[in-house]
Amino acid sequence: MIRFVLGRLAGSLVVIFLVATASFLLLHAAPGGPFDTDERRSLEVQHAMEEHYGLRDSLGTQYLRELGHLARGELGVSIKHDTSVGQLIAQHFPVSAALGVLGLATAVILGVLMGVIAAWRRNTWVDYVLMTLALIGISVPSFVLGPLLIAAVSIKLGLLPAARIDGAASYLLPALTLGMIYIGTIARLARGGMLETLGQDFIRTARAKGLPERTVVWKHALRLGILPVVTYLGPATAAMISGSFVVEKIFQIPGLGTYFVNSIAERDYPVLTGVFVFYAVLLVLLNLLVDLAYGLLDPRIRRAR
Amino acid sequence: MRILVVLAVAACSVPDGDYFGRTDRGEPDHFRWCNQGEPDRLDPAVASSTASTPLVHALFVGLTAYAPDGHSVASLATSWETSDDLRSMTFHLRHDARWTSGRGVTAYDIAYTAIRVANPLTGSPNSDSKQGYERRRDVAPYRAGEIVELTAPTEVDLAARTATRPLALRDLGAAEPVAYATVPAGAEVTLVMTTGERATLPSPDGRPWAYVQWARDEEGVLGWVPLAELDGEPHAGAVLHVRRVDAKNRGVDGVRPELEVHGGDLLYTPDVLGRDRFDPYTIVFECADPTPFMFAMTTNRSLRATPIETVSRWPVRWTRPEHIVTSGPLHLVEWHERDRLELVRSPTYWAPAEAKSARMTVYSMDDQAANSNYYFTGGCDATASNQVPSTYLPVLDGEQRGRPYKDYDVSPYLGIYFVWLQTEKLPDRHLRRAMALAIDRAPIPAFTHGGELPTAQLTPGTPIARLDAADLAACGVTHDTPGMALVMAPGELCYVPPPGLDFDLARARAELALAKDVPRPLHYMYNAGAEAHKQIAEYLQAAWARIGLDVVIEAHEWNSMLADTRAGKFELARLGQIGSVADTESEFLSLFRCGTPDNRGRYCNPAFERLMIEARTMRDRVARNARLREAEAVMIEDVPVIPIYVYTQKRLTKPYVRDFAINAIDQPPLWRVWIDPSWHP
Repeated sequence: MIRFVLGRLAGSLVVIFLVATASFLLLHAAPGGPFDTDERRSLEVQHAMEEHYGLRDSLGTQYLRELGHLARGELGVSIKHDTSVGQLIAQHFPVSAALGVLGLATAVILGVLMGVIAAWRRNTWVDYVLMTLALIGISVPSFVLGPLLIAAVSIKLGLLPAARIDGAASYLLPALTLGMIYIGTIARLARGGMLETLGQDFIRTARAKGLPERTVVWKHALRLGILPVVTYLGPATAAMISGSFVVEKIFQIPGLGTYFVNSIAERDYPVLTGVFVFYAVLLVLLNLLVDLAYGLLDPRIRRAR
Repeated sequence: MRILVVLAVAACSVPDGDYFGRTDRGEPDHFRWCNQGEPDRLDPAVASSTASTPLVHALFVGLTAYAPDGHSVASLATSWETSDDLRSMTFHLRHDARWTSGRGVTAYDIAYTAIRVANPLTGSPNSDSKQGYERRRDVAPYRAGEIVELTAPTEVDLAARTATRPLALRDLGAAEPVAYATVPAGAEVTLVMTTGERATLPSPDGRPWAYVQWARDEEGVLGWVPLAELDGEPHAGAVLHVRRVDAKNRGVDGVRPELEVHGGDLLYTPDVLGRDRFDPYTIVFECADPTPFMFAMTTNRSLRATPIETVSRWPVRWTRPEHIVTSGPLHLVEWHERDRLELVRSPTYWAPAEAKSARMTVYSMDDQAANSNYYFTGGCDATASNQVPSTYLPVLDGEQRGRPYKDYDVSPYLGIYFVWLQTEKLPDRHLRRAMALAIDRAPIPAFTHGGELPTAQLTPGTPIARLDAADLAACGVTHDTPGMALVMAPGELCYVPPPGLDFDLARARAELALAKDVPRPLHYMYNAGAEAHKQIAEYLQAAWARIGLDVVIEAHEWNSMLADTRAGKFELARLGQIGSVADTESEFLSLFRCGTPDNRGRYCNPAFERLMIEARTMRDRVARNARLREAEAVMIEDVPVIPIYVYTQKRLTKPYVRDFAINAIDQPPLWRVWIDPSWHP
């Protein structure tokens, strides 16, 4: 097990190096720079500012400097806000993470519930209704659902805040908006996994032993039937935490996602590279956790390692 | 699906009543403002975003301040004199201005900001001058003290210094033991200024002191040391080429040639202010040419006083609440990034009653819909300008229900929306004129819904029909004169731009018939992300199609569009220009000077240049305006730009909010705003 984990971590370093290199090259290949403005500014001032932030050095020099920073565990300093990228991440990531975890919890609870029930009652009206809802959840993007929820729940009914995080209740609408698109996917994966599991021999044996159907489904079948959902949870968690920028923007939540997206428009290279690398690390770790969870859930996989 | 339908129906209904937002008041002594985003910085020397400017004005005093009507009035300076030749202004400062640290605010604090803005170490976007060096020694044909500049960039840091013993960085005149940073012996520091020089503090003990920067980490640290301790100059022997800066050496006749010198012959100078009669309560600004708008420029955010003791210790983080020292009517106590800032009435401002509310919360919301929604639900008492999404505008201005909401306001903005034409790629003046004449601007506000003021004139202003009698007299027009006028000093001075090339389809066709080698298709560039730009692009495309021009419209990402237009890689591009001072010469016409980087259209006409240069030397402001008008007339007939409309400011303000000033430059003195406890629906 230890060898497996160490091997994966070593491979992760290569992935992170490639992500850092690719992000650096792609960002610098994009037209425009951090000091392009529609305001009036002389070329001397523009050059002085670029000089100040080392942007007039050759691309190779900048790249090596960037790698040097990363090797020392530093992520650089924001060009636009003069704050260290590490500090930005420490400050804003917990907000995105809280939102992502809440969204994920919403998606997992509702999605698994819908998927299991749909599989259990397959090819009945219950199955059709739940899967139609799942399809709607997948199809309606958060930039449509979010404003609709704000308009109805905040503006019309005045029940929840329309923007900002100011207390636990402020998380409800953003978490629901964020989780909705994943509810549908998780429900469909859970249904598929459960259908496959419910047809297996050990389920037939459990039923033959006279176990109640509820125990067969929720205790025996669910443990194996949920594996596709677990597989999906790694990238889904990363996507939900790192991809919450639309929801953060709609609800004006000061998470890392908004910062990241604004930094693209601002061409804030250190922030972008730093956040890319941070998200890469996050994704690698989450995938590793998923692999470890596989072993815990399925003894056959554990034995194979 | 049913849930979605219910949500959609709920979302589509509009509020009834006189006001768009809820009108239940918050705390009586607390003003809550929805700003247009996170301020990039609050340091006057480096702040550059529109979200930060009103906050900088509230936190730091300048020589002058914006009055509610947007014109500059006395602030730190209580009186001033302008020289007859309009080249020099002397300001006399009040003696009762205090930093929140308790120290008095002096002219040196203003000079310090100017020095920081000009110094490359600061990386200020507000700087607008080349680095200047002062000659230390006479080397014919130059004299010591003359200002020179490098003729070619150098990799050498001429301001680098070293010391053979450790340097104790401290406040000016402080004893060595109270130093807040120690530079190791031999480590390189950068000389920023010395005592007793141009606009710098005098020596406290008769010996010269040096103010240096030490790059000990990403932020660095600054401080004073006795000049004699800087005994090493690493690049004194570097060979450089310089030439005299004529504009900074008035009185010296003749052209001076390029000269080869050594790094040690030069001294970096913060050449920003005049030397004469400079003392803690007097400051003199000198310009090479008559500069009538110099007074208004002193209100600019980048010329606000900054406290040297605090900046020195935390050059980047000094505006964080735990470090900040302020001088304005408000003081910063909390800053939650990307969420909100909390400001309170300053205990040391000389007129505390000016800050009408004891507390002000500024929400950093960069999404228009979120801003308006938050306002609607009572989260804030007013929004910054143009924080209303375009989809809300037809609702707010009453198109749906027949009457506008009373808490929605639209007023003119000192800004012009225009189309740049790249004159090197479209050199035929007839083609450009045809394109300008083909546009009927009048219907545009009907689909942009923002109350914009269609115009063919370049210089924006107020519609002449809305001027009062005094301004009409100053402008020399009557109410029925069409077009705009820029009121530069209420009732005293006014600029009336020449009429532009307004819609005339027959003339457009005639001009096009004279055009040669019309490129087909033409390409029109606009920035993606705003529906109005796309709508306008489609409208213009249709207008040009009517005279037979094939124009392809292309959406571009904002930064790449800025880079492309600045590099001249376009044919037609939508952009705009916002003025910060009511002066067309500095804010609008200077865009069209030959070779300036802001001249995206690469326009250059010697006749326009000549008129602008003539105007620059004129002291009579009315005559000067007349000459500028001639220049604008030349330019507008050449059509390097096609003006479309004057921008408007759209904002939401609760009915119980008082003294929220709306002015053309969108600089409301926020500290004057208060909540009326006696207001009832």
